Amino acid sequence: MKQYQLIFLQLIIVAFAMSIVTSCSNEFDLDNLDETLFVRHKNADMAAYIKGNGSEKVFLITLHGGPGGRGLGFTGSAFNTIEKEYGVVYFDQRGSGNSQGNYSENDVSIDLMTEDVLALVQVMKRKFGNDARFFLLGGSWGGTLGTATLLKDQSDFKGWIDVDGASNPFGMYELYKESFTATATSQIELGNSVDFWESILELVAQVDPVNNLDDFLELNSKAFEAEEKLFEDGFIDNVENGLEGNITFYSYNFLTSGWNGNQIASILVDDQGLFQIIDFTDQLPQITIPSLFISGRYDMVVPVASAQTAFDTIGSTSKELLIFERSGHGPLFSEPERFSTEVLKFMDQHK
Amino acid sequence: MKKFIIIFTLFYGINLLAQNQGETSSFFDKMEYKIGYSGTIFWSNGLTVGAEYNWKEIQKNKERKSTQRTNTHQFLFNGNLGFATNFASKTDTGGFANFGITWRRTNKKGKQFSIEVNPIGYYRSFLPETYEVKDGNLNKVFLPGRGYYSPSISVGIGRLRKGKVRSASYLNVNFSPRFNYNAGTLPTFSVQYGFRFNFKNKKR
Repeated sequence: MKQYQLIFLQLIIVAFAMSIVTSCSNEFDLDNLDETLFVRHKNADMAAYIKGNGSEKVFLITLHGGPGGRGLGFTGSAFNTIEKEYGVVYFDQRGSGNSQGNYSENDVSIDLMTEDVLALVQVMKRKFGNDARFFLLGGSWGGTLGTATLLKDQSDFKGWIDVDGASNPFGMYELYKESFTATATSQIELGNSVDFWESILELVAQVDPVNNLDDFLELNSKAFEAEEKLFEDGFIDNVENGLEGNITFYSYNFLTSGWNGNQIASILVDDQGLFQIIDFTDQLPQITIPSLFISGRYDMVVPVASAQTAFDTIGSTSKELLIFERSGHGPLFSEPERFSTEVLKFMDQHK
Repeated sequence: MKKFIIIFTLFYGINLLAQNQGETSSFFDKMEYKIGYSGTIFWSNGLTVGAEYNWKEIQKNKERKSTQRTNTHQFLFNGNLGFATNFASKTDTGGFANFGITWRRTNKKGKQFSIEVNPIGYYRSFLPETYEVKDGNLNKVFLPGRGYYSPSISVGIGRLRKGKVRSASYLNVNFSPRFNYNAGTLPTFSVQYGFRFNFKNKKR
């Protein structure tokens, strides 16, 4: 019996040794980075996946959508191309993806989450040196968080890339109504999915004229359906090609990340009124770093007018707005080659 | 009197020791040990070891289709120690320990059904390289990770191998919430597959 007990003991020791070895490994190859580290800040441990070519110490820090998305959700053919030239940091925000911690709902705020991003920059500098240079990219909700981060402190960033971002979540209610009406009218004239677009016009007529969360969520849900129709009718390119190389499935336990995502979304959207209160438009002139705005022509989730307003208002002297004609709310997947080309061009210019 | 007390104490001590040895032997006879896979297959994989103490055993006779059937119902105290990791992302690594009680029914053919409730449980995550940013200062965290209260409940089936050292196999579905995880409670599910060992059977 003692022999078996010894085997049990050995197995436990091996398991713990493995954990210590994996947690203490500190070697990395700058040309071909594949590191996972965590940032501990105000009771949260947030995962940062650092990949790609860090030989120039130029890093693109990405902020995922949601709220409650996954950092590695950006991975695919567009970012594979970007990784060949520069380092990319995929960040699981507080309460998202594989991030964990122990804090109260009341502690969560956009301001705290901007501090999390700035804490990540501090950690990156410690890891790769103070000569490391950073670009910030935010997609969708990540565009809101990125804007808030830059308003808090933009000194560490060489440039800002806003992909389908919402710098004015509050204003999206009106934008939905305008965008739905315009798109539905043109699609009905073309004879495409007429029943669906007529139902969209009915919905726009029924919703509360004053910003209302229930109606907002219904419009938001319909926006995704509308993009499916536009894809079926040949206006948006297939996202499958762009998703090639996406490594989300094995990197996230879908129950854990799904539960995390729902919870943080509920805190920010339901409890803190993300879409009822937040509007950074008036503060955008304070952002002066070079900025690139990318939006899909048929983005129904964050309509292209949102990017136009942000582009017109931002204080940067070096700025550009690119409309991807064959895209909806995901130009990096529907037009991956153009996306990577434009992002790399912007980074080359401003690094 | 003093001499009497010393002799009495010595005799009583020896008697207690003998009694304890008997109880110890009986205690180990009621023990089974288990080892098995524990994980979610796609996202984390690991190993669990554990022990069970047969606290109560009841034989229940039933008559079905004019044949007599005997089912054995057991109540067992159990403890588990495990470790699981996600080799791909290194973000889902952790060790756990839990203790509780198991109810198990074994039918005449040796097929088993069990429900394991472990109200006392602890999960400790092990994170890769971690840096803490606090009040403007940055420090590397030693042995990074977090501890969670993590009770569990498992429901499963198994098969008894009567009289063998490898006395049974089991397949459980385990539910183990983690308190407090982020701003709430994280529900986690895992699968456990393994074998139980009864070394008493070796003696026979």
